Amino acid sequence: MTSLLVGLLAVLLLPLFVSTWRTSLFGLACQGLVMAWIAYRIEGRFSLDHALTFFDLIVVRGLAAPLALYAVLRRQNAPRRSDVIPPNMLSWTLAIGLVLLAFRFAGILVPEESAAQTLVAVSASGLLLGFLVLATQAGPFAQIVGALRVENAIALFELGGDHDRHESPVLHVAQIAIVAASVVLFRWYLVTLSTGEATADASERPAL
Amino acid sequence: MSPLLMALVPVVLAPACAARTRPSLAPLVLVGAGTVEVVLSLIVAFGRDSGRTLGGYFLVDPTARLFLVVINLVFLGVAAYVWNRVRTVPELAVGIERFGVLALLFLGAANLAVVSNHLVGTWVSLELTTLAAAPLIVREGIPSSRRASWHYFLFSSVGLGLAFVGFLCLARSLEADGLVPTFFLDELAGRVGGPPNTWRKLGLALVFLGYGTKLGLAPMYSWLPEAYDEAPPAVTVLLAAVQFNCALVGLLRVLSVYRAGNPELVADELLVIGLASMAVSTASIIATRNIKRLIAYASINHAGVIAIGLGVGKGASYGVLLYVVSNAFIKAILFLTVGKIKAHYRTKDTREIGGLIKDLPYSGLFLMVGTFALLGFPPFGSFLGELIILSGLVQSGQMLVFATFCLLITATFVATGRTVFPMIWGEPKRHVTWPRQTALAAAPKLVFLVALLAMGIYMPPAVNTLFRQVAASLGGE
Repeated sequence: MTSLLVGLLAVLLLPLFVSTWRTSLFGLACQGLVMAWIAYRIEGRFSLDHALTFFDLIVVRGLAAPLALYAVLRRQNAPRRSDVIPPNMLSWTLAIGLVLLAFRFAGILVPEESAAQTLVAVSASGLLLGFLVLATQAGPFAQIVGALRVENAIALFELGGDHDRHESPVLHVAQIAIVAASVVLFRWYLVTLSTGEATADASERPAL
Repeated sequence: MSPLLMALVPVVLAPACAARTRPSLAPLVLVGAGTVEVVLSLIVAFGRDSGRTLGGYFLVDPTARLFLVVINLVFLGVAAYVWNRVRTVPELAVGIERFGVLALLFLGAANLAVVSNHLVGTWVSLELTTLAAAPLIVREGIPSSRRASWHYFLFSSVGLGLAFVGFLCLARSLEADGLVPTFFLDELAGRVGGPPNTWRKLGLALVFLGYGTKLGLAPMYSWLPEAYDEAPPAVTVLLAAVQFNCALVGLLRVLSVYRAGNPELVADELLVIGLASMAVSTASIIATRNIKRLIAYASINHAGVIAIGLGVGKGASYGVLLYVVSNAFIKAILFLTVGKIKAHYRTKDTREIGGLIKDLPYSGLFLMVGTFALLGFPPFGSFLGELIILSGLVQSGQMLVFATFCLLITATFVATGRTVFPMIWGEPKRHVTWPRQTALAAAPKLVFLVALLAMGIYMPPAVNTLFRQVAASLGGE
């Protein structure tokens, strides 16, 4: 499983250095699919809960989210280049530094060297890199990518715990529905924030 | 009575708001749903039913009893305000169906959050309130409201995401101690004990940071003034007085479980973030000339005071609760009043508004009384709450925090008074024709005002018992 986690780390890092929106969306899709593979390796058996996990990772995170954003950007004829972190040495060093910090942090939380330690390290890397994207970009697309990176890092961290066996399927479905609804809202914001124009005297109109 | 009913009633009534009738049924459905919910919340609060229901996913405890009444009362006030606004300004009827549906879904999720006995259940409910509230912030044709809605949604998603990571860390802390992890709060209370391990400390810090984002605590507060300012006043009240309390209930429940055997846990973090929030809001209150933003910054200040009260712990628990409940009503009064003032003068600039007490007597009076309550004047509940928190700081020997608190609250007092009081007295600066304000329009705010006064002067024994029970769950005496 460690090789899969290393692969996921590469998927987390590479789109930061290749500044096109297609790479960012491809990176998100790969994150969902690699996480599904990791989930398969961890569980190795079939149950309703695992089916829901696979649906979440493959369908919602791996396919629906990137495709929904892709359709909007394609329709808007968005320029090819789209940085998710500023393209300079400082940002790149910061990104690498955050990954190293995440591994050090994981060493404190899970002292014995194991796949569990790597999983915590890669989750923490995903979370910190997501925050780096959110902190350095103001545009809606980059911020959506940052938020989805954070959501994916949380999902990866969730895969490593024992707690899911004590959760009801209804709550699991609710969690997936929330991710799906968030993707729908992300798409709506991407459309309205880029195209919405002020209507004359709109601010003068009464409000509830 | 099942507490689930309180979540189901608004959800079942929501489609009725969408009915395409002329005039729209939505305002009446909102008032009807609000009334039913207040009655149900009173039955739950003072009835005999208690304990776990539906497999333990819901729990009627003193915290749920108290906050169900508060949030449903505020919602009824908002519904009455909306009904009156739509009645008096017919153009507001456009899009009222959408508002009605989303507001009722929001209320259902809010009630669910308050009665949830499961960490993930509370989290899901809070996410649902966010999903329902985000589109409500948007006003047609105003791009700044879209940006405010986006920032609200982004911060909420990330904040709640952090809280969720916190829950996972808390589960890992049980695994690390060789225990079976659980997300049921009452079961957690029996399992948490002994010195905290690294996972538990990390988990609590993340839960605090995550829920703190929803409360508008520093450092993740920047969404709050923008969203409160841009949203229509009715939506601002839903965010400031309903959703705020739902997130706070989530935080109180986690703290009451994890600090039961270790009251010092995250106390320093609470004090530091509380003071930082107060400092940030004080500086912003001094700088702003926008009345709605001023009240929004005051909300950040209140969140800071609440965090400090929670950091003090048992000596201040009762005061924290008085302060929290008072603030729900204060924010409802002030934001609804400011909505009226904005509609009248078409500006939020405090320098362009004057002589309110002559021009808009009801609004002027409510702004004045609300500001006194906001600043913690007697005889309001906020005064008593603040006094108990300050006394708790002295008793616990936190003299530096006490001195900084006093300094910041004095600066807030001066800055708010300097900005708001010239709006109330003096001569009107603009003359606008306006139909005479009716007592009916003021009724919801009057109810909130009576509640505020009751908390400072005389609280019925049954209500006081409820407050004491919730304070006891937080370690109070």
